[in-house]
Amino acid sequence: MLNISHINVYYGDLQALWDVSLIIENGEIVTLLGSNGAGKSTLMKTISGLLKIRTGFIDFDSIRLDRLPAHRIVELGISMTPEGRRIFPQMSVLENLEMGASINTARKVRKNTLNGIYDLFPILKERAKQMAGTLSGGEQQMLALGRALMSQPKILLIDEMSLGLSPILVQELCRVIQGINRSRKLTVFLVEQDVQLALSMAHRGYVIENGRIVDQGDAKLLLANTRIKEAYLGIGEEEMIN
Amino acid sequence: MEIILQTIANGILVGALYGLVALGLGLLMGAMKFLNIAHGTFIILGGYISFWLFTLWGIDPFLSIPVVIIAMFLIGLVLYRLALSPLLKLPNIGMRIDTSMLVTFGLIWVLDNVMTMLWTPDTRTIMTSYTGETFRFFGTRFSITGLGGVGVAVLVAIALYFILIRTYFGKHIRAATQDAEAASLCGINVHRIYLFSSGIAIALAGVAGVIVISTYSINASGGISWLLIAFVVMILAGEGNINAIIPAGVIFGLLEAGSVLVVGVPYRQAIALLVFIVVLMFKPQGLFAKRE
Repeated sequence: MLNISHINVYYGDLQALWDVSLIIENGEIVTLLGSNGAGKSTLMKTISGLLKIRTGFIDFDSIRLDRLPAHRIVELGISMTPEGRRIFPQMSVLENLEMGASINTARKVRKNTLNGIYDLFPILKERAKQMAGTLSGGEQQMLALGRALMSQPKILLIDEMSLGLSPILVQELCRVIQGINRSRKLTVFLVEQDVQLALSMAHRGYVIENGRIVDQGDAKLLLANTRIKEAYLGIGEEEMIN
Repeated sequence: MEIILQTIANGILVGALYGLVALGLGLLMGAMKFLNIAHGTFIILGGYISFWLFTLWGIDPFLSIPVVIIAMFLIGLVLYRLALSPLLKLPNIGMRIDTSMLVTFGLIWVLDNVMTMLWTPDTRTIMTSYTGETFRFFGTRFSITGLGGVGVAVLVAIALYFILIRTYFGKHIRAATQDAEAASLCGINVHRIYLFSSGIAIALAGVAGVIVISTYSINASGGISWLLIAFVVMILAGEGNINAIIPAGVIFGLLEAGSVLVVGVPYRQAIALLVFIVVLMFKPQGLFAKRE
């Protein structure tokens, strides 16, 4: 479905991604693991068209993505909730959701989609008239997810969903995402600092370090991988033996 | 008593025009962070288009407004394509504001000279059958063109408010204003939104120009003084607070009319600058800024 092939991405003269290749199949939940500054968000921004690649290519259902502007990529069915949520603070919750349905195909059916979003996150319906900037962090994350879903994407990119949220809320959001993945066959690509959480949700995972993909595989196998345990879960060899 | 009422009436009439004059500047600055120093010059250009329509075909200035809107809208599209859109590539907003000032400052000289070639350096005005006529109300005189100006200002402000609040296009403008990158991730073509907003901003300058030439007069290099007024009104309203611009214009008009009573006509412009400085010192976020 989404095929990223040998891409190199730069910020000015500074190379951020080195020969990154990655494949996401229809209906999967795939996660990208890595420490701060490893290039996770860079890859997300590159897929969604905010950053341009210098060499390599990105295909989505055999359409070349990497030369398209961000709004065209949304039209093809790729939607992203960016890091830090990036909702429109001085617009109402309802207006924020409407903005998610800006592309023509989604605008026509926005009433239906909206009811679907309200079913997933009832709190958004209660707060529909409220300014989005006055919502709590968790509600804002729900709004960001809802807004991204309003475009009726085939694949949803989620950048750092759990940042600054309580564990209970994160659990709830995960359940919702797994639910839509199962019921609507929505493909999800997720960047997450909470490795345990990400691997418990995902089918497969990739590990990125210093802008390079260094490991990949089945989520359960990655979770059992000692190297990953040491690097990201803070569980050392000795503890394992004990 | 009568003179005070007359002063208030004058203040409201001129103030509504001041608000209208500032709308386009406020939209371009609020939505896109382009500070259009040539805004006053576009007002003059709008006035000249109306002048041409009146002298060549005898079209009443108020009826010429739709034509002026279309012509100035197209000029706004060209302005965005040629001069403003390249500035979006600059790395930050501060540089965009600074550079847009330089670019549009240069544009003033180009437009001034083109207008002088087309319409000579003479001062122009439009004299209709009702110019100078007044309407009496409880002993207070209102000029007909002034009242027409108020009507146009209010209608334009309501139309703009309706577009921004109700239409998808207006919501896209507001979304792009608050977070352009997030807007593009929603599938909004931010460049197209900016293109049409620029068209609207310049069309607004054109409408203001029609009212200016039918209530006052214009000459090719007179744009700067209207820019000054537009700038002060925009600061009074608070940057980005487009709905407050007409009320801010009226407040400024009343202050100016009042100052004529106290210090006399020659110091009117000084009062404008004084208000500007005082507001920047004590309430830089504008008189109508909402508390966060």
